[in-house]
Amino acid sequence: MNQETNVQEKEARVRQPWTAQRVGDILLNNALLIIMAIAVVYIAIKNPNFIKPASLINILSQTAAYLPAALGIGGCIVLTGTDLSAGRAVGITACISASLLQNAANMANKMWPQIGTLPIPVVIVLAMLIGAAIGCFNGFFVAKFKLHPFIVTLGTQLILYTVLLLYVQQGNNKGMAISNLDPSYTGFVKGSLFSIGGTPIPNYVLFAIVLTAVMWFVWNKTTFGKNMFALGSNEEAARVSGVNVFGVTVGVFALAGAMYGFTGFIEGARIGSNTANTGLNYELDAIAACVIGGVSFVGGIGKIRGIVIGVVMLRLIFVGLTMVGVPQDLQYLIKGAIILFACALDMRKYLVKK
Amino acid sequence: MKKTLAILLSAVMMLGLLAGCGSKTTEQPSTSGTENTETAALNVGVFYYDYSDVYISSVRSSMDEQLKAMGVNYTNYDGAGNQAQQTDQINTAISNGANLLIVNIVETSSPDAAQNAVEAAKTAGIPIIFFNREVSDDVVNSYEKCAFVGTNAPEAGHMQGQMVGEYLLENYDTVDLNGDGVISYVMFKGQEGNAEAEARTQFGVEDANAVLTAAGKPELAYYNASATDKYLVDQGGKWSAQAANDYMATILPEYSEANGNMVELIICNNDGMAEGAVSALQGAGYNTGDGKTIPVFGVDATDSAKQLINEGKMTGTIKQDAEGMASTILNLVSSVQGGGNLMDNTSSFNVDEGVAKIRVPYATYTGE
Repeated sequence: MNQETNVQEKEARVRQPWTAQRVGDILLNNALLIIMAIAVVYIAIKNPNFIKPASLINILSQTAAYLPAALGIGGCIVLTGTDLSAGRAVGITACISASLLQNAANMANKMWPQIGTLPIPVVIVLAMLIGAAIGCFNGFFVAKFKLHPFIVTLGTQLILYTVLLLYVQQGNNKGMAISNLDPSYTGFVKGSLFSIGGTPIPNYVLFAIVLTAVMWFVWNKTTFGKNMFALGSNEEAARVSGVNVFGVTVGVFALAGAMYGFTGFIEGARIGSNTANTGLNYELDAIAACVIGGVSFVGGIGKIRGIVIGVVMLRLIFVGLTMVGVPQDLQYLIKGAIILFACALDMRKYLVKK
Repeated sequence: MKKTLAILLSAVMMLGLLAGCGSKTTEQPSTSGTENTETAALNVGVFYYDYSDVYISSVRSSMDEQLKAMGVNYTNYDGAGNQAQQTDQINTAISNGANLLIVNIVETSSPDAAQNAVEAAKTAGIPIIFFNREVSDDVVNSYEKCAFVGTNAPEAGHMQGQMVGEYLLENYDTVDLNGDGVISYVMFKGQEGNAEAEARTQFGVEDANAVLTAAGKPELAYYNASATDKYLVDQGGKWSAQAANDYMATILPEYSEANGNMVELIICNNDGMAEGAVSALQGAGYNTGDGKTIPVFGVDATDSAKQLINEGKMTGTIKQDAEGMASTILNLVSSVQGGGNLMDNTSSFNVDEGVAKIRVPYATYTGE
C-alpha cells in the first residue's frame, strides 16, 4: 500500500516536469508583467489611495516625464552600446530651454535680457537640435574610431558638465538657478487640455504618447529601424548586407540626443528651476528602464513596448514603495533588488534559447 | 526540476520582498491613516533634501522621535539632492492623502521649485511647512497655510567670523606658521547660489577680518593670491566632505610648511566639509590630536564634528540646533493637529515681521 503510493507519486513527479516547464515558460516570458500585477494588487490592498485617479495620473505623468530619454537610450542599447551623457544632455537642454523662455516682464532675473521670450516651437526645435548635435558627436566617435559608447559618452558627459557649468554663469545668471519662466512655457508643458476624475492630465503626457508612437514607427516600420536592429545583432553581417554602419550609428545616437533635448525642454518647465545639477543621473534611470523592459545589452533585441513597461515599472517602484510605507533608507535596496531580479528573470528567456 | 526550483525560489523571494515591506509598515507609524480614525488624524509627509547630509540626518532623527512621541502618522522622503525627484515625491504624497507637508526644499537658488510645492499644497488645501533651506518671503506669503522654520542665514556666517577672529587673536603666533604676520586661509563653500552658503562664505571672512583689524592685526589673506574667487566650492552643490577633502589634498602638496606658504586657517560652510578638510590634513600629518593643528572651523555642530573638536582635531563650529529645529516644526504640527492654524502658538519664538518665518537661534561650539 505504502509502496504503491510512493510509486504513484514518483510517476507523477516524472510527468510533472513537462507541465511545470510549460507553466514555467509562460511565467518566465511574462515575468515582468506578473511581477507588476502582483505589486500593483499588493500595493492597492495595502493602500487603497494607490489606485485612486489622482494617484494613477501621478504615475502616468511621472512615466511620461521619464519616457522620452529612455526611448532615446534604448536605441543606443540595441546597438550594444549605452549613453552616459544622457543626463547632462537633458540638463543642458533644460537650462537652454528655460533661459530662452524666461518671463520678459521680470528683466532683472532674465538670463538674456537682450533676447525676448522666443516662440515655443523655436525652442523645442533648438533643444532637439542641440541634443541631436550631442548625439552626432557621440555617434561620430563610436562609429569612426570604433570606441565603445561607454567610453565615448563618459567623456562627453564630463565635457557637457563643463559646458553646463559655464552656461549657467553666462549673461545675468551668475550660476543661479534658471527660473522665472514665461507662463506660456509652463502652461504649454504643465497645463492640461482635459482631465480624468477631476485630476487634470498634464500636456507632457500627450507629448510622450506622440513620441512613443513616432519611435515605434521608426523602430518597426522604417529601413533605418531595421538597419539598427541588424547592426545591433551582428555588425559584420549588417556591413556585408550593405547597411551603412557609420550612418546608422550616428543616426541612432542623434535620434537619442533629440529625445534628450525634448526631455530637457519638458523638465525645464516641469521642475521650474534649472541648475547645473538638472538631469543628473537621468541616464541611469533610463538605462535601468530599458534593461528591465527587455532591451538587451547583447544587442539587437528590444521593443518600444518593453521600454514603456520598464519606465512604468520604475515609477511603480518609486510611487508604490512610498505608498506602502517602506522607509526610504530601504527603498534603494529594494529598487536595486527588483532591477536585478527583473533582469535576471528576463535574461533567462535568451539563455534558454541558446 | 531545476527550473521548477528556480521559479519557486524566485516566487519565494518576491513574496519575501513584499512581506518584508509589509511587516515594516506595521511597526512604522507611517502607514496610511486608515487605522487612526480621530478627526485630527494627520498624515504628514516629510521631505528631506538629501539623506546623506549629516545635519539633515540629525534633524531627521529628532523629528522621527518627536513625531512618534506625538503619535502622528508620517512618511519620510529622500530628495537625494534632486529637485525633480522631490517634486515627484510631493505629488505622490499628496495623491496618497498626505494632509500636511514638511519640506526641506532641494532647490534654493530660485523660488520656483518651492512655489511649485506651495501650488500643489494649495490645490490640495493642505498646510505646508518649509524648513532649514530658506524659501523666499513671496513664496511663504503666497499661501496662508505656509510657514518656514529655519535659521537666520547670515547669522551663522557672522557668528563663525566672530569665532574665527577671536580664536586668532588669542593664538595668533601659533597659527601664523611661517611667522610672516599674516594668516593665510582657505574657504570651502558648500554650494553656488545657496543663500546660506553665500552668507557664510562672505561673513565668515569679513567678520573675522573686522575682529582682527579692530585689534590692529592685518586682514586674512587667501592662500592663493592669484585666485579670482576667494573660495573653493563643491561643484556638485552637495556641501560634501569629499569635495573639501579633494581640494585640500590638492592644495597640500603645493602649499606646505616646507615651502613656507602653508594654509594656516580653514573655514568651511558646514561640518561635513570641515571633516573632509581635517581628514586631508591628517593625511599630511596635521590635526591628529597631538602635534601641529591647523585651525578648522565648520557650521552645524554635528556629533562627529563635536567629537573632532573635543579630540583637538578641529577648532570650532556653530551649533545649528537640530533638536530645536525639530521641536519648532513640531510645535506648528501640533497646532494643526489641534485644529488650529500653523502660526497659532508661536509667540515665544523669534518670528520675522510680516512673514511666517520662524528663526531658530545658533550658538558657538568650541568643545566641552
